[in-house]
Amino acid sequence: MLGKLALAGIKNRRRDYLVLLAGLTMPAAIFYMFANLTTNKAFVKANGVVGQSMLIFGFGAVLLILITIVYIMYANSFLLSMRQHDYGLFMMLGAKKRRIGQLVFLETLILGTVATAIGIVLGLLMSRFLVGFLLNALGLHLAHLESFYLPAIIATAVLYVGLFILASLFNLVKLTRTTVLKLLHTDEQANQPQVKPVRQMIAGIVGILLLAAGYWALANIKMLQMAAIPFAIVTITLGTYLLFRATLLTIIRWLRQTKWAKKHLNGFLMGQLNFRVYNYTRMLTIVSLLFAMALGAITVGSGYHRQLPMMADSLGSYTIAIHDKTAKEQQLIGKLNVVNQATYTQKRQGKTVFYNAAEFKQHPYEFNEGTMTPKYVKKTAAQMKSTDLNSLDFLNLAVLGQNNLYAPKMLNAAKFSRQAGKTVSVTTIRVKNIDKDRATLKKLNQLEMARFPHASELTVGNYQSYELMLAFFGGLEFMGYFLGIAFLAMLASCLMFKILSGAPGDKRRYRMLYKVGVRHSLMRNGIAKEIGIFFMIPGIMGVIDVLFGLQMFKPLMPKPMSPYLGIGSTFAIFIGLYAIYYLITLALYWQIVLPQAPATVDHK
Amino acid sequence: MTSSNAVVDVHGLEKTYGKANERQYQALKGLNFQVAAGEFVGIMGASGSGKTTLLNMLSTLDVPTKGDVIVNGHDVTKMRGNQLADFRAQEVGFIFQDFNLLESLTAEENIGLPLALKGTSSKIMDQAIHEVADTLSIADLLQKYPSELSGGQKQRVAAARAIVHHPSILMGDEPTGALDSTSARELLDLLTTINQEQHMSVLLVTHDPFSASFCQRILFIKDGLIGSEIRRGDQDRSAFYQQILNELGTFNE
Repeated sequence: MLGKLALAGIKNRRRDYLVLLAGLTMPAAIFYMFANLTTNKAFVKANGVVGQSMLIFGFGAVLLILITIVYIMYANSFLLSMRQHDYGLFMMLGAKKRRIGQLVFLETLILGTVATAIGIVLGLLMSRFLVGFLLNALGLHLAHLESFYLPAIIATAVLYVGLFILASLFNLVKLTRTTVLKLLHTDEQANQPQVKPVRQMIAGIVGILLLAAGYWALANIKMLQMAAIPFAIVTITLGTYLLFRATLLTIIRWLRQTKWAKKHLNGFLMGQLNFRVYNYTRMLTIVSLLFAMALGAITVGSGYHRQLPMMADSLGSYTIAIHDKTAKEQQLIGKLNVVNQATYTQKRQGKTVFYNAAEFKQHPYEFNEGTMTPKYVKKTAAQMKSTDLNSLDFLNLAVLGQNNLYAPKMLNAAKFSRQAGKTVSVTTIRVKNIDKDRATLKKLNQLEMARFPHASELTVGNYQSYELMLAFFGGLEFMGYFLGIAFLAMLASCLMFKILSGAPGDKRRYRMLYKVGVRHSLMRNGIAKEIGIFFMIPGIMGVIDVLFGLQMFKPLMPKPMSPYLGIGSTFAIFIGLYAIYYLITLALYWQIVLPQAPATVDHK
Repeated sequence: MTSSNAVVDVHGLEKTYGKANERQYQALKGLNFQVAAGEFVGIMGASGSGKTTLLNMLSTLDVPTKGDVIVNGHDVTKMRGNQLADFRAQEVGFIFQDFNLLESLTAEENIGLPLALKGTSSKIMDQAIHEVADTLSIADLLQKYPSELSGGQKQRVAAARAIVHHPSILMGDEPTGALDSTSARELLDLLTTINQEQHMSVLLVTHDPFSASFCQRILFIKDGLIGSEIRRGDQDRSAFYQQILNELGTFNE
């Protein structure tokens, strides 16, 4: 009978349970994808993910587990906040505590198991489609990437079901230890935190010092090696927590005294924040850290994506060199976005390649003399020095064999025409953006390599360098994006649940406001501001963390790349995604909390 | 039958619950009554007689199926959305049985809420809050949170919030329901003072004869209609209390 009642209770709150289920499914799916990528040894080996980057994956996995634990705690408290009133009522009506305990345990466990199962299936689908899509969009190819990987499924199932068993036990203990009266009135209590100015000052200063220490450690990762990361995680977490604890309440208290707080619902908003912020400090700390990690990961990923072509460009003077170009190749060249193109005749004899100086007078050869950013200088034969003639780029135009290049020599037109040797024409092409013309360049390269093969260690032209770099850094780039998206999904869901678990209590408060005659629009705005502030605090802190934390990627991004280059657009996209989460949370909150129009008002 | 000085004028008020194709229940069956400006009127009736339904209509928390409710010249049945909210915020002061204080705000902030909604300047707001706090002798409680107050103190804060913006009518829904007898008596004395000194009309919904004995006129509701009406006239309160008890005795038979 009690089981039936409990089930009826769930049915009545179908929508809330769907939110909860959807929210629990998400991390399971993400965890599966992550487990799939990191535990799949064939994949990891095939993609040359070694040393430092493997450690980053390891930290990623540990973090994801920690976040999952926190996340399930919040989701669980949301579940409990929905149910405790019902269970309190059952107990008041005489249901035995043991029986209620069983119900709570079962409910949590069933919900968790279902969520895990759906999550794994979703994770499989996401591995197949989302990862594929991401790789496609980034133009990467990662070998041995499979969506179905049994060890990953087992790892996900064990971790999640295990965590849910813990959560069920926690609920069991919590519900059976709480008195019936407390259960019935839990949402009516509001703790007013005490403010002790001296303590807060000290906490604030210690917090800032800890943050500084953490940032310093990240910036000096070369010196501290891998110890920097755990050190920074601990100091930044503690520092953020202390800083929030010290400043947020003080700011709110101060705002409450101002005239601004006496307009419309501002005072109510401040009151809400005042009694919430304290309880939310831990959550805000974790979320701000997650925010930093997600944003940092995506920034690094997009940094590689944006900067690898730049780096390739800085290496040489031409993108691709074509020998004895065919009609088909000519047609492909027509599709390229060419910035510079020149064709020269070579005569190859013995170990020497001869060039016609007259051709260089007509079409000067373009050298790249920049060290970090390309600097193109055009030179005729007369202007070329022997160092120019012996620059690797120029030498590469005539490959003799394994580790062997023809020695170039300039001849005047008359001598050149008399020179014996095999005649070959070479066309150097520089395109505007390697990444944009990558598909065409690939075809051209294949045709060229079929007729004029050379060892793969030797790269001729920036296109070949680019492909080599992609193979090397692509895994990192992909991991950056992937981790970023995963962390973002988790952090926003964390925030969402913590905020939503306050909704049942707020429902009563907004009903009071409604009775007192507060306009709907005012209540909507009030909620939007309150939730907005809870989203903004970790957001701002997270951005600061990232700005300092990117220092640690400097050793991983050789110059001319820099983790800070072009971060503006990445930040904008990321914040856009974060804003979408905010809007979803807001819409859900509005639905749960706002009183209905009079026609359907319930009579209490 | 509208009299010119009526603050509340209810005419042919009906309320039916349930949709047309469902089993319907008629809570109010055509109510007519008025409250004159400055009057202290009680509405009595047993549980289920329609008292709360009536108060919900008067306070625009619910809409009638038929009939008119005119409060201070506004036909509340024709209002929608923001108009309704503004009406509640400006024309009506409420005291609820469960206080309805926001526990996240101090007593002062709770009292100031109706003024804040109107956009009153903070200077005038402070003045009004302290004035009403002095009247209700809660000046020393202003910085406290509801959780630090006793039931009687909470209800006085609620009363202060209900009258701080000088509404045209003060409505109470069993305001003494959750109070001990001393606090209840203090609150009723307070309502009487507010009624007499500030000439504020008071409408009290109650099933408690003692509370009702503070009114000048009592309307008895039975099965969705006004069954009878008695006036206090020149009697003292205890005599009126007896009269109410007698009336209830015959009324409930």
